Amino acid sequence: MLNINNITVRYGQLTAVRGVTIKVAQGESVCVVGPNGAGKTTTLLTVSGVLTPAEGTVEFDGGAVTGINPENIARLGISHVPEGRHVFGLLTVEENLKIGTAMRRDRSGVAADIEKVLEYFPRLRERLKQPAGKLSGGEQQMLVIGRALLTRPKLITVDEPSLGLAPKIVDQVYEILERLRQEEGVTLLIVEQSTKRALDHAERLYVLRSGMVQLEGRTADLSAADVERAYFGFDEHAATA
Amino acid sequence: MPQKNYMKELIERAWPLILLTLILLVICLVVDLAAKEVFDYRSLERTVTEALIRIVLVVGIYIFIGNSGVISFGHIGFVCIGAYGTAMLTANVRLKSLNLTGLPDFIRLETYDVVTAALAGGLLSAVVALLIGIALMRLSGIAASIATFAFLAIVQTVYLNWDNVTGGAGSIARIPRYVDIWVAFGWVVATMVAAWWFQRSRFGLSLKASRENEVAARAAGVDIFRERLIAFTISGFFCGIAGVLYAHYLGTITPNNFYMSMTFVALSMLVVGGINSLSGAVLGVVVITFVIEVLRQAEKGVEIGQAEYALPSGVQEIALGVIMLLILIFRSGGLTMNREVYWPFKSKSGSAQAGMTRAS
Amino acid sequence: MIALGQNLIDALALGSLYALAALGIGLIFGVLRLINFAHGDFITVGAYSLIIPSTQVMAQEMLGALPWPLLILAVTIVVIVLALLSELIVFRPLRAASAATLMIASFALGFVIQYTLLLFYSGRPKAFGLWPELTQVVEFIGLRVPLLQLLTIAVTLVLLGGLVGFLRYTAYGVQMRAAAEDFRMARLLGVKANRVIAMAFGLSGFLAAVISLLFVTQRGIVAVDMGTPLMLFAFVATVVGGMGSLVGAVVGGYAVGILSVALQVALPVDLRAFRDAFVFLAIIIILLFRPSGIVKVKAVVERV
Repeated sequence: MLNINNITVRYGQLTAVRGVTIKVAQGESVCVVGPNGAGKTTTLLTVSGVLTPAEGTVEFDGGAVTGINPENIARLGISHVPEGRHVFGLLTVEENLKIGTAMRRDRSGVAADIEKVLEYFPRLRERLKQPAGKLSGGEQQMLVIGRALLTRPKLITVDEPSLGLAPKIVDQVYEILERLRQEEGVTLLIVEQSTKRALDHAERLYVLRSGMVQLEGRTADLSAADVERAYFGFDEHAATA
Repeated sequence: MPQKNYMKELIERAWPLILLTLILLVICLVVDLAAKEVFDYRSLERTVTEALIRIVLVVGIYIFIGNSGVISFGHIGFVCIGAYGTAMLTANVRLKSLNLTGLPDFIRLETYDVVTAALAGGLLSAVVALLIGIALMRLSGIAASIATFAFLAIVQTVYLNWDNVTGGAGSIARIPRYVDIWVAFGWVVATMVAAWWFQRSRFGLSLKASRENEVAARAAGVDIFRERLIAFTISGFFCGIAGVLYAHYLGTITPNNFYMSMTFVALSMLVVGGINSLSGAVLGVVVITFVIEVLRQAEKGVEIGQAEYALPSGVQEIALGVIMLLILIFRSGGLTMNREVYWPFKSKSGSAQAGMTRAS
Repeated sequence: MIALGQNLIDALALGSLYALAALGIGLIFGVLRLINFAHGDFITVGAYSLIIPSTQVMAQEMLGALPWPLLILAVTIVVIVLALLSELIVFRPLRAASAATLMIASFALGFVIQYTLLLFYSGRPKAFGLWPELTQVVEFIGLRVPLLQLLTIAVTLVLLGGLVGFLRYTAYGVQMRAAAEDFRMARLLGVKANRVIAMAFGLSGFLAAVISLLFVTQRGIVAVDMGTPLMLFAFVATVVGGMGSLVGAVVGGYAVGILSVALQVALPVDLRAFRDAFVFLAIIIILLFRPSGIVKVKAVVERV
């Protein structure tokens, strides 16, 4: 469904991602792990159209999406949940959710979907009229996921959903993401710093370091030691493979 | 020979400054000699003198804007103050004592020599810059820009209405006209040296760092307020000097000279040349002066065949505005791309590169 | 008491104009981080659209000849189109530029507009009486005030109400607020950048047109630089109110209006000519104590 083909992304002189290839199939749950500065966020931002790759292409649903602007990529069915949550703090929770429906024309569908999101996240219902800036970190994470869902995405990309959240909340977030995949058929591409969580929650994973894919495979086939070696780059063979 | 190396390094380090000075010197020499030989070249000499004064002005503004990254719309206020200051000190006593009764006696009843008056004009502007800067430099970049604009309006309002001190909207005439091509050139050199020194100094470097990344600069212990204030004050001084030069070049000043259109022309020069480099400031003046001259001629009328064509007035400003917009859209670093003219003999040794590294 | 009441109406009427102008600037600043130096010239163009382009001294009616509902509509359309064209031609290519670059560009644009007017209309101010019947003085709760002042206040209140309604209760309004807060996130959710920005420019142009009409009616004169002082006060209002806050823009606008009238009344006669200088000075002093303005915005990040 999503093919990231050999992309290279630069910020001015600095190359953040070099020749990365990632493939995600329909209905899959894929994790990208790697240390800080590995190029994970850059990769997701390229998928969602915020950045344009210097080389390589991104294909989604069989068509090239490279160079299309973010709002139109969102319309094609990729919803990106950026790192650091990014709720609209001055807007109410309800207004935040409505922004997710900016591109939709089916009023009745929207109402039903908002209802469904509130069933997934009952905490949000209590706080519908409050400014989103007043929510706790966990609630904000729920809100941005719910908001992303309202764009009716085929693929959700999530950048570090666990950042700054208590472990218990993180587990909840992953649980809900998994439910969304099972019940709504949403494909997931998640960026994560923790190899453990990636191994626990994803079906497949990619290890990214220094802007390159160091390792990829089914989580079932990989040992924690393999992943960590690729992650930290202690083993020279793994680094150049 | 260590002595020789030291000289060489100095030359390499100050290369843009030296090169710019030499180019301007050659232009001045050629024009001065030509002007002495051919009567018609008088107007050329005037154009060049005006351009030199504009260099003082634009480089003066550059000292603040180029280093701090904060756009100021208020610097023409300093030009106005400098021009007014020198005019008061050098104007005819009989004229002053009758009309400008609000002046203190040591100004009203005395006439000073032009050098004292020039320095006083510059210093007056510097002091005003310092005082106003204490307030303005605390503001964020955009808010500071707006506040500088308000400052310009204050200067204008006060000048226009404080009749018994400024003479109001009327002009101050019969100011001694001593500014010629060489006086202007002298101040150009002084201004460029100051600008060069400042941008290579600790203050200038940390200010440039704050321009690139304010948060990081603060974290590294840069006192942005203080550095900006220093730049603003030095910049105010040289803009004041530009005003002094205008006054003694034109021989008469009115507050109208020092408002929006001068602000616009000065900023367009800076933008077209490249806002963040000294070379850009100088190049911008040269290029825009050329454009203005061509358009001015065209507005006067050009004979083509039998008919005479003249551009309507206003075209000059429109053209400048359009050029400025085109530069901003297509070459936002200006003609120089915000770089200084570089040392052309880099391949000889590593020391040139060492100099560059130290500078950046 | 009567004098105080009349001064208050003066202050509110003046503050209304400033608030409208500050809102026009604030709307664009919100979505684009652009301080629009051409805003005053938008106002001027609205005023000049009333008369026929000519360099003659006497003004001849152009749009000014229309019956009033059409006149308002036509002038509004002229200014909105100008604002949209400015966005399309100048600011869209500069979308990725720094706030400083955008500001200089708008300054240049303002000059181009002003001197284009000068080219077609000459630089001389021209007398033009628009709706002279509005300048008559009427009784109002025991005060004798110009009808126009009451109208200015009323129109402003209606527009403010309308704007609040739009921003609160319509989908586009909510999108605009979202974009003002975090443009990238809004786009990631499918909010169309071009549409939101065009909408901000359109609204800004609309407010400018309203000011044009009120201002010409009040002054009975059009001049190529008539927008500049208004814009300057509006800028100051946005800074005092707090950059990036629309509520701040309105509060700042009224604060500047009230301050102006208060100084007009309080200053000795021979200092009244310096009123504007005192207003600006007072504001610089206010900013010394509150550099981020009266209404603080959580974080105004200059877009990178």
